[in-house]
Amino acid sequence: MISSKLKVQYSAIAKKLAPMRFVSRREQPRAAETAQVALKALSAAALALPGVASQPAKADDNNQVSVQYGYYQEGERNLAGHSYNELKLKPIRADNQQLSAKTTFADRIKLALNFTQDTWSGATPITTAPEAAMTLLSSGASMAIQSGVLSNKQGTKFYNYDSNGRLKEHSQSVHMMAMASPETRKQGDARIGYEWDHVMLDVGGGVSSEHDYDSSFLSSNGRYDFNNKLSTLSWGFSYTDSQIKSQKIPQYQGYIDYRTLFDNLPANGLITGQREDWAAHLGFNQVLGKNTLLDSGINYTYSSGFLENPYKVAELIFIDPRQAANPNGLVLAQTQGVAERRPNFRNQLGFSTQLTQYVKPFDAAVHLGYHFFADDWGINAHTFEADWVQPISNGWTVTPRFRFYSQSAASFYSPYFVIPQAISYTKDFKKDYSKLPIANFSSDQRLSGYGALSAGVTISRQLAKGVNLDAGFEYYTHQGNLKLGGGGESSYADYSSYLANASIKVDLSALANKFANSSSHANHKAHAHHHSAPAGVMYDHMLTETDEIMVGYRYMYGAQYGNNFNGSTKVSDLDIVNSACTPRPCTETASRHTMQMHMLELMYAPSDWLTLMLMPQFMDMSMSFRGLNGAPVITDPQDGMHHHATGSGDASHTTGGIGDTGFFGMFKLFEKNNHHVHLTLGLSAPTGDINQKMAGNYLHYGMQVGSGTWDFKPSITYTSSYDRWSWGGQVNGIQRLQDRNSAGYALGNVLQSTAWGSYDVFDWLSASVRGVHSLQQAVQGEFNGPHDNSSPMDYPANYGGSFWDMGFGLKTKVLQGQFQGNTFAVEWLQPIHDRYNGYQVERQGELNATWSIAF
Amino acid sequence: MISKKSVPAILAFSAVLLSGCSEVSPWERGNLAKPQMAIDPTPAQTGLRDHVYSSREGASMGHAGVGGGCGCN
Repeated sequence: MISSKLKVQYSAIAKKLAPMRFVSRREQPRAAETAQVALKALSAAALALPGVASQPAKADDNNQVSVQYGYYQEGERNLAGHSYNELKLKPIRADNQQLSAKTTFADRIKLALNFTQDTWSGATPITTAPEAAMTLLSSGASMAIQSGVLSNKQGTKFYNYDSNGRLKEHSQSVHMMAMASPETRKQGDARIGYEWDHVMLDVGGGVSSEHDYDSSFLSSNGRYDFNNKLSTLSWGFSYTDSQIKSQKIPQYQGYIDYRTLFDNLPANGLITGQREDWAAHLGFNQVLGKNTLLDSGINYTYSSGFLENPYKVAELIFIDPRQAANPNGLVLAQTQGVAERRPNFRNQLGFSTQLTQYVKPFDAAVHLGYHFFADDWGINAHTFEADWVQPISNGWTVTPRFRFYSQSAASFYSPYFVIPQAISYTKDFKKDYSKLPIANFSSDQRLSGYGALSAGVTISRQLAKGVNLDAGFEYYTHQGNLKLGGGGESSYADYSSYLANASIKVDLSALANKFANSSSHANHKAHAHHHSAPAGVMYDHMLTETDEIMVGYRYMYGAQYGNNFNGSTKVSDLDIVNSACTPRPCTETASRHTMQMHMLELMYAPSDWLTLMLMPQFMDMSMSFRGLNGAPVITDPQDGMHHHATGSGDASHTTGGIGDTGFFGMFKLFEKNNHHVHLTLGLSAPTGDINQKMAGNYLHYGMQVGSGTWDFKPSITYTSSYDRWSWGGQVNGIQRLQDRNSAGYALGNVLQSTAWGSYDVFDWLSASVRGVHSLQQAVQGEFNGPHDNSSPMDYPANYGGSFWDMGFGLKTKVLQGQFQGNTFAVEWLQPIHDRYNGYQVERQGELNATWSIAF
Repeated sequence: MISKKSVPAILAFSAVLLSGCSEVSPWERGNLAKPQMAIDPTPAQTGLRDHVYSSREGASMGHAGVGGGCGCN
């Protein structure tokens, strides 16, 4: 806080300096900086508003890189007393990673790039029925809906017999759940804008891709500041085109009738559709006083096309009015699960307003927001939000947050649908849905009436000028009885969840300014890591100064596809069928296996002989399959659950999420005459998930996201340089510290040796050549639960080997300007000679790309 | 749908906003410039929360522009 005396002084200075342009200084807000307030406020507002496209490039952050991890976890739902354990279900969880970069060219051109990836898995409700109609399948482990249920004539009460043969009413609704295997969504988008003195215009676009849903979107936004920048008008338009392509829900293929949506599904069972969304937004932001901002907006979205959720089923309960009641007054109702049907268009209107108020006694800010939503599906929703942003000393900020949401149900929502008709049939004896008394029907709980309450807190820390860390947590509870005005869905649909996230944001402009302000330091930074190795070499350099920090990002992509090998010999499909899955015959093999890793590298030097490193990472893998020529046809009840399309085209799996986390210490052993040797000792904690399953079966060893064991990772590195040349070598290893992980196996140990040379083509660019030899053991032990067993990747012996690779790399260091101090490097590793353990698909190479900045 | 009654109310409210607001000189905007006064102090987190809300709630379902992706099972 600035004392009042200081403030008077500051105001006086500010008055004199007001016409000049300032570089902003966060600790001392000055007049010119405030000119950007309205812009900042407005762009943030647009971000917060659903229905609008876009995130206008913000005026205040010139060059910024940020990385965010998020984790979402749902709690278990109440399934009429059945536990998730009993039904072999797991609640939904999702891992999210986001990478953003923003930059400014020529002072007025703003470019923003984003990449988001999320992987989710778990059990989701596919339909709902009265409990009396539900039964546990005799095989246990899964619930089913009986084709007939006793009910009263009105269809308001449902009965079944208990184990003592007594008739009992069980009318309350219960969800039927389906487990979804892990799925990964990736989204990339870009936005470019131009800022005039009072006007900003931008255009942007992007794509989002997951195996059953692809979208592409375009948008444009504008902003006009007037009234001395006290008022800002903003507007935006967007268009999204989405393609839906989903498989029928595998576990319930025979049970769901899709003829409510399609007269004939294609033979491959693929549900396809297209939807379009048009959105427009108009916003207004006003400075109401020295301490108050008001931000309001209206947005409209028109959606058309396939608006159904292809994984949601509505339960139709037919009660034939001509049926005579039994002595208890009950009739036998017939049930049928059908694909849900929604209108083909939707008009959505939203209005939002937010007040931002500075609270002087606490130097805090309070945000109060309200959002109203209405659509022509009958949903009206109200959202109330409040937070309190409280800066504390030493760069810490704590923000508690509260949100309440309430919506009414869509007009065509019901947990199930009682149809006062007998089931009618077409001429070819299929059920006929053309005479249903309702045009649309959905039991998706998102269309039900309910309320949701959430509370959370965000803690931020400014680590150094230009570097911010954030961590947040939010608890969310969805309950029918929280609906405003009552009448919400009953408690069977209630659930809760939490969301945790952590992010780091680096303001490159602030760091570049810092370098520029101490030029000797800057020169030092620019040349300090001259020894550093090609992009694919990790742990290659230490920080040289006490209290130095480095933030880096590493991306790795590896692919296997093409021929199959045993040792170094190319093998035929028939060889694999006969020998790779002993004692069984193999029926399929990977046609393509890819792995991507995103790693955050945080380094800190407590002294000049020790550097500490923390490396969290985010993984994602995909594998597609093909049937093997000559494979026998095997009927296996386990495989019935597994939707590998053996011999009938490609199928694929994806997995992903937060991987293992590495902690390292680097120790300087020797430094003289440009020769440098350091030892790195590290531990990898098993934070990556090794329970990636599909339909209860463990997915292949190579598709698990972590090792599941604590791993020891030592390495020793030598680097040196002369004139424009530099070179080095490293030996590194991975020793598993446990024989088995909780799933019953351990990945093999690894020993890798590498040597490289590089040449500075220019001051700012170097090119490198590298040789690598890796030795990896096969997987030890095996899965201690049900797992796939139809392909070579399901057998521990078919992992690891001895591999020779050549690496070709480029590295650039930015020596001056606004990106001073940034290092970018790429390297391609080309396999030269492979000797595989067992039977494996050919390695095709590996790409490494890194970015780092030290300060 | 939004009721006809509320349309004039919204318009009137907007008119109030557009009209008389006290003049705030540039040198009086120090508090407004503080990071805690940003309309959204944590935009990256807001993006993540909105993605979760939009895949779990009816009101924000299917809104365009945040861009594709269903994540909606």
